[in-house]
Amino acid sequence: MNSNRSKPHGLLAEFHTAADIFEAAMRCRDAGFTQWDVYTPFPIHGMDEAMGLRKSPVGWFTFCGGFTGFFTGMTMIWYMNKFDYPLVVGGKPLFTPLYAFPVSYEMTILLSAFGTLFGMFFLNQLPKFYNPLFKNERFKKSTDDRFFLCIEATDPKFGMDATRTFLTEKCHAAVVELVED
Amino acid sequence: MNAFSRQTKSWMALGGVVAVAAFALFGTLPTLGADAGSAAHSVQEAAHASASHGAADHGHAAVSVFSLKQIAHSYLTAYMFCLSLCVGSLFLTLAHHLFDAGWSASIRRVTETVASLLFPWMLILALPIIGFAWTGNLHAWFKINPADDHALDVKKVLFNPMAFTFLVPVLITLLGLLARQIRAWSIAQDKDGAAHWTSKSRKLSAAGIFLFAFGVTLLCFLLMKSLQHQFFSTMYGVYYFAGSVWTTLITLYLLTMWLSQPGRPLEKVYFKRQQQDLAVLFFAFTVFYAYIHFSQYFLIWNAALPEETFWYVRREVGSWKWVGMLILFGHFFVPFLLLLNQDIKRNMAVMIPVGAWAWLMQYVDMTYNVMPVLHPEGLHLTLWDPIFWIGMSVLLGRLFWSEYRKNPPYPLKDPRLQEAIVHHEVPAPGASAAH
Repeated sequence: MNSNRSKPHGLLAEFHTAADIFEAAMRCRDAGFTQWDVYTPFPIHGMDEAMGLRKSPVGWFTFCGGFTGFFTGMTMIWYMNKFDYPLVVGGKPLFTPLYAFPVSYEMTILLSAFGTLFGMFFLNQLPKFYNPLFKNERFKKSTDDRFFLCIEATDPKFGMDATRTFLTEKCHAAVVELVED
Repeated sequence: MNAFSRQTKSWMALGGVVAVAAFALFGTLPTLGADAGSAAHSVQEAAHASASHGAADHGHAAVSVFSLKQIAHSYLTAYMFCLSLCVGSLFLTLAHHLFDAGWSASIRRVTETVASLLFPWMLILALPIIGFAWTGNLHAWFKINPADDHALDVKKVLFNPMAFTFLVPVLITLLGLLARQIRAWSIAQDKDGAAHWTSKSRKLSAAGIFLFAFGVTLLCFLLMKSLQHQFFSTMYGVYYFAGSVWTTLITLYLLTMWLSQPGRPLEKVYFKRQQQDLAVLFFAFTVFYAYIHFSQYFLIWNAALPEETFWYVRREVGSWKWVGMLILFGHFFVPFLLLLNQDIKRNMAVMIPVGAWAWLMQYVDMTYNVMPVLHPEGLHLTLWDPIFWIGMSVLLGRLFWSEYRKNPPYPLKDPRLQEAIVHHEVPAPGASAAH
C-alpha cells in the first residue's frame, strides 16, 4: 500500500455555482480530456452536452431485457399449458398469445427493468467499494452546496502542472491533488 | 430540422403516396371478405338471439352507395375523427393548467384554439348526426320500442331519442364553452400579464377535467358505442380518449414543428426539448392506447359473455378481421417499435410519415367502431368516406387557422412562458474558447 501513497489519482477542482462548473465542463471537453467527471449536489440541465457525453447505451440493455422477457413469457406458457401438461381452462384454447399476453407483458417490464438496472451497474463498473475521492473531506460538500470536477491521472492529456494550471487559470477553481491510497 | 429540406419534402410526398395506396388497398379488401357474408349473417343472428332478443339491427341488406345510411355512417366516422382532435386538444389544455406546467406554455395557444372549435363548429357539425338518427339512418334504437328489446329497455334512460337530442348538443356546448373560457382568460393575460388569469384557469381546469371525463365518455357512448346498444364496456370512453390524445399529440407535434420554422410565429419560443417531450408523450399514448384497447378485448374474450363478445365477433367477420389486425400492428406495434429509439423522436424523415400514418390509423379505428354496423360482411369503403374525412378536416383546419391568426400565436405574458423558452442548448465544442 505504501507504494501507492505518492501515486497521484488526479486533480479535484471545487466550484461554487452550477454555472461555473458548467463552463469548466465545456472547457474540459474542448481541451480533449477523457478521464474526468463532475460531481454535483443535483442534476444540471445540459451537463451531458457540456461534458460531450454520448447517448447512454443503457437503452440497449433495456431492449434486450424486454425482448427476452416477452418471449420467455410466451414460451413459458406455451410449454406449460400446451406442451408439458395440456389443460383446458374455461373452455379456452390450450395456447393463444391472448391469455399469455398479460404474463408476457409483465415479464417484458420485469426484465426491461433488470436490463436497465444491471446494464447501468455494468457500464458504470458498479458496485465499487472505494474511490480516492472519499478520502477528501471537502468532497463531502458535493452532496450539499459545492460542485466538483475531477480529472484523473490516467487521462492521456493529464500532466500534473499543466492540468493544475488549466484548472486554476482557465476554470478559476480551487484545486487539490488526490492520491491513490 | 431548421427548414423542410429536400429530403423531408420527398418523405412527405412519399407519406402521401403511401396513404393513397393504403386507401386503394382497402378498396380491394371487400372482395376478399365478400364470400364470408353468409358466415357473417349466421354469426350475427347468433349474437342477436343471445344479446338483443330480436332487436331490429339494421345492415342486413346490401347498402347502396347513395343511401342515406351510407352517408350517415361515413359522416359519423369523419365526425368522430375530428371530435377526437378537439377533445384531445382540450385535454392537453386542461392538463397543462392542472399540472401548472411550464414547458408547454408556448404551444398552448394551439391546443386552446383547436379545442375552441368545439363551440360552435363541432356543435353545428353534430346537427346532421342528430338528423340522421331521427330519420332512422344511424342508431337503430331510435326506431325500437324498448318494451320489445330488453337490452334497450335497461338502458333507455340514456338511449332514448329525447336524451340523445338533448345531451349531444349540450355536452359539446359545455366542453366548447370550457375551452373558450380558458382561451379567453389566456388572451386577456396577453394584455396585462396578470398571474390571476393563470390561477383562474387552473381552478376551472380542476372542475373542467370532471366535465371532460364525463362529457367525452357520454359523447362517445351516445354517438358511437350505442350504434350497437346491446354492448357493454366500461373501457369504451377511455379507449376513445386514449386514441384521441394520441392523434392530437402527433398532430400538435407536426403543427408546432411547422409553426416554429424560421420566419413563423413560434420560432423563438419552441425548441428541441419541447419537441422531444411531445414525441415522448405520443409514445406514451401509443402504449396507453394499446393497453386500454387490449384490456377491453381481453376482458371480454376472457369472460366470454355473449352480451359483450358479439361486438368483437362481428368484427372478426370477413375483412374486418384484417382491419383489427391492422389496428393491432399499425396503431401499436409499428409506432411503438419505431419510437423506442430516442433520436427517432426528432427525425423528421420518420416523424412526418408517422404523423400521416397515425391519422390514417385513427380513422381506421373509427371505421372499425362505426362501419361493421352497416357492413357486417367486411370493410366496404365508398367515396363518402374520404370526402367527409378530408372535407371535414380541411374545413376545421381552415377554421382553426383563421381563429389562430386572430390572436397572438402563443401566450405572450404567461408567467410560465419563461420556463418554456429557457432552453439548454449547449455550445458545441470550440464555442467556449471565445469566452
